[in-house]
Formats: sequence, structure tokens, C-alpha cells
Amino acid sequence: MSGYSRQGVGLSAFQNRNKLTSSYASHGAALQSSQSTSLTTQISVFQSLLHSFAVQHGEDIKNNPSFRAEFARMCNAIGVDPLAGSNLTGKKGRSWWNSVMGEKGDDFEVRISMRVVEECQATRGQNGGLLSVKDCKDRLAKGHDIGGGIKVTEEDIIKAVETLKPLGSGFSIVTIGHKRMIRSVPKELNPDQSIVLGVIQDLGYVTASILEDNLGWEAARTYTVLEDLLTDSLVWLSEKRLGNGKLEENEYWSPTGLEGYDDE
Amino acid sequence: MSQSAPPADAVVFPKSHSFPPFWTIQRVPATRQTQFKHWSNTIQLYCRTLKIWRMNLSDHLSSPLFHNYKLDRWLELEEAQMILEWMASEEGSKRAEWVNESSSGKAGDLAGRTTAWIYWRRPEEWADVIMDWIDSTGQKGSVVTIHEITQGEATTSQEFHGMDPDILEKTLQILIKRGKAQIFGASGEQGVKFF
Repeated sequence: MSGYSRQGVGLSAFQNRNKLTSSYASHGAALQSSQSTSLTTQISVFQSLLHSFAVQHGEDIKNNPSFRAEFARMCNAIGVDPLAGSNLTGKKGRSWWNSVMGEKGDDFEVRISMRVVEECQATRGQNGGLLSVKDCKDRLAKGHDIGGGIKVTEEDIIKAVETLKPLGSGFSIVTIGHKRMIRSVPKELNPDQSIVLGVIQDLGYVTASILEDNLGWEAARTYTVLEDLLTDSLVWLSEKRLGNGKLEENEYWSPTGLEGYDDE
Repeated sequence: MSQSAPPADAVVFPKSHSFPPFWTIQRVPATRQTQFKHWSNTIQLYCRTLKIWRMNLSDHLSSPLFHNYKLDRWLELEEAQMILEWMASEEGSKRAEWVNESSSGKAGDLAGRTTAWIYWRRPEEWADVIMDWIDSTGQKGSVVTIHEITQGEATTSQEFHGMDPDILEKTLQILIKRGKAQIFGASGEQGVKFF
């Protein structure tokens, strides 16, 4: 046996090892490139099939909202960007999503909408589906994976949310307090809930007695609003323990602003 | 213990750590899940920074991890246990494991569960890290002692330096199953051969 297997001695052992390592590396590279070629082929075949499907069912996609939503969901699920098909349409600069959807909006706008949807989904567990337009803008600018960040204005985002309307996805802009928020859960906030969220924006948190003292609400009304907001994850409960084992009055905090924290 | 462990104030806690509701176990399930995810990340960050491989909850209840002195808020033992229990679950991506799993019969019974391994990397992830180190230092085919891996001069800059022996054992078992390692020698001076 050569000394190699026992972590050799002498210069020749080093040379041998280097040779072996580099031949492993080149073999590995060859394997990897042949695999990636075959994958690329598979993907382009799949893309063209998807494209002909889109053309064939263009009318349905255009006219049937639920069909369109399903189609978009399918594209999303298999990681095909419906915007990336520009080269397949033959029409330069327009994706087939766009050509199917008509003249509405340019790719940039649609692209922003997609990213807005992603950010809303990524933060939903955190904020119950209410993301401030400003936070959304900051998150887009930061970008977190491929492609990096995109710089947009708050108006761009609001316009993008508008373009989502035809999808019937329940995305809308609501004004709470003095902040514009993207609501991504198709559930209406009632006026009381909006008021409470507005107060939280100003004070940082709210308690039942703050609401009752300042708005003249009755206990039952306060209770209902706060419980509903809790249930929808729009506010979090804080029960501060005092030294004597008692609790301070419940505080209700909005998790907005916590999104900045990286969740794995 | 690792001789180079930084002091507890070296940990920069994330924003959520000074968010008052973070210190109340949320009763709405969806909110609680988000909360526990934040707690899990925070605990992992704390343990990674301080190189705490196994955490005894009673020892850390008054540490800045579980007690925010500025807010005057803290977690009780049962609350910290609930969080670790979640971390140990499938849902919590198995970021913790109770050291005395067997002493408590049924799942969810927290009595006696006070010490857990904290996995800022799980054993299968440590297996990859150690193999990378073996690869990059050209030690494939050679024998390394267990002592060398976790305590040796050559690994002081490695993340696994000072690793808890039980976690190393779990890690090596994974590598053995993968056919990447073989342990031999008497206990006390065991050697590992990597392939």
C-alpha cells in the first residue's frame, strides 16, 4: 500500500493527492454540467408546453377569473415566472402573460405586483395580513434573495396593488390612522377596528381603559374589537407581571415594524 | 467549556426581544407560532454566540435571554419549556432536543424537562460542516481523534470547536450511516477515520 491512505509522508504523497483531487474535481464538474444541460432542456420543453397551453386557453385565462387565478397559481407552484416568457411570444418586450392580459400595465408594474404579493405573504404570519406601504417599499428595496432589491415609490406600490384587483385576490389599500396599509387578507376591517389600529399607531399600544376613557366606548364594544383584532393576529397581547404576582392591565400591540427581523 | 466563550452581553438581540408582547405567550395559535419562531431564532442566536451546546433552563432563566431587565419582563420556567418543546417539534424544525427525553414518558409532559441541546445546526448539518473541514484540510482517509476534533489546536477557528460530546456522537453516527466515517479504538482515546 502506498502511504497515501495513511495521510502519506514525503513530497510524492502530496503530489499524488493533488493529482487525485484535481481529477475528482474535473470529473465532478463534467457530471454536473451534463446534468444541468439535461435539466435545462427539460425546463425549456416544459416552458414551451406551458406557453402553448396559455395560447390555446388564452380566452379562458382572459375571461374567467378563477381559471386565471388557478393558472397563475400553477405557474407559481412550479416556479415558472409567467412574466419571463417574453422570448417565447416572438413579440419583443412583452411577456405572454401580458399579451394574454391585454394592454393593461407594463411588465415593470406587474413585476412589482408580484413582489408585493410575495412580501405580503412572507409577512402575513407576522402582521395578520396588514403591511404598511412604507414597510413594503423598504422590504422591496432590501430584496432578500435572487435579483436583489428594487427601488420603487409608495405610489408605484399602490398602483401595483390596483393592478391586482382583476385577479380577485383580495388585495387592497386601506388607510389606518395616517398610514396607508396593504390589506392582503380579503376580510374587511370594520370602522372600530380601524380606529383601534389608528390609536395603536399613535401610542404604540392600547388598553381597554384608554379606549373606554377616550372614545366613550362600552366595555362590551371594546372587548369585541380587541378580541377580533387578536384573533386575526393584527394585534399581540402583552400581560405584564408585577412583582406581587398580579398583572398589569392588558396591553395590545401592533406587530408592525417587527417584520424587519429576519425569519430564517 | 470553551475557553473563548464571549460574555453574555456580546449577544445583540433582535428587535422582537424588546417587543413587550414577546414576553406573553400568545393564545391565538397563528400568532403564537410566529412568536415561537422568533423565540427559536433568538435562542439559537444566543447559544451560537455564547457556544452553549446544551442549555439548562434553570441556569439561564435570569440571563438576558429570558429576562429583559430594561422592560422588566421575564419568562417563567414553564413558558421557556413550552418554547423549547415547540423548537424540539417537527413544526419547530427540530432546533432543540431534550437531553432526558426518556425520563418523561408522554409527550407534552414538561416535568423534568429542563435541559436541552440547542441545534443552531442540527447533527446532520454538523455532519456536513465536519466533512467540509475534513475535505478542505485533506484529512480524508486519515485518523483523527475525537479530542482533536472538538478540542484540538487545529480546530480553534472552526464552528464546531468545543462541541458537546453527545452532539458530536450523534453527528458521527450520521456520518457512519452515510458511510463517511468509521470509529475505532477504546473509549477515551477513540479515533475516527473519514472517507
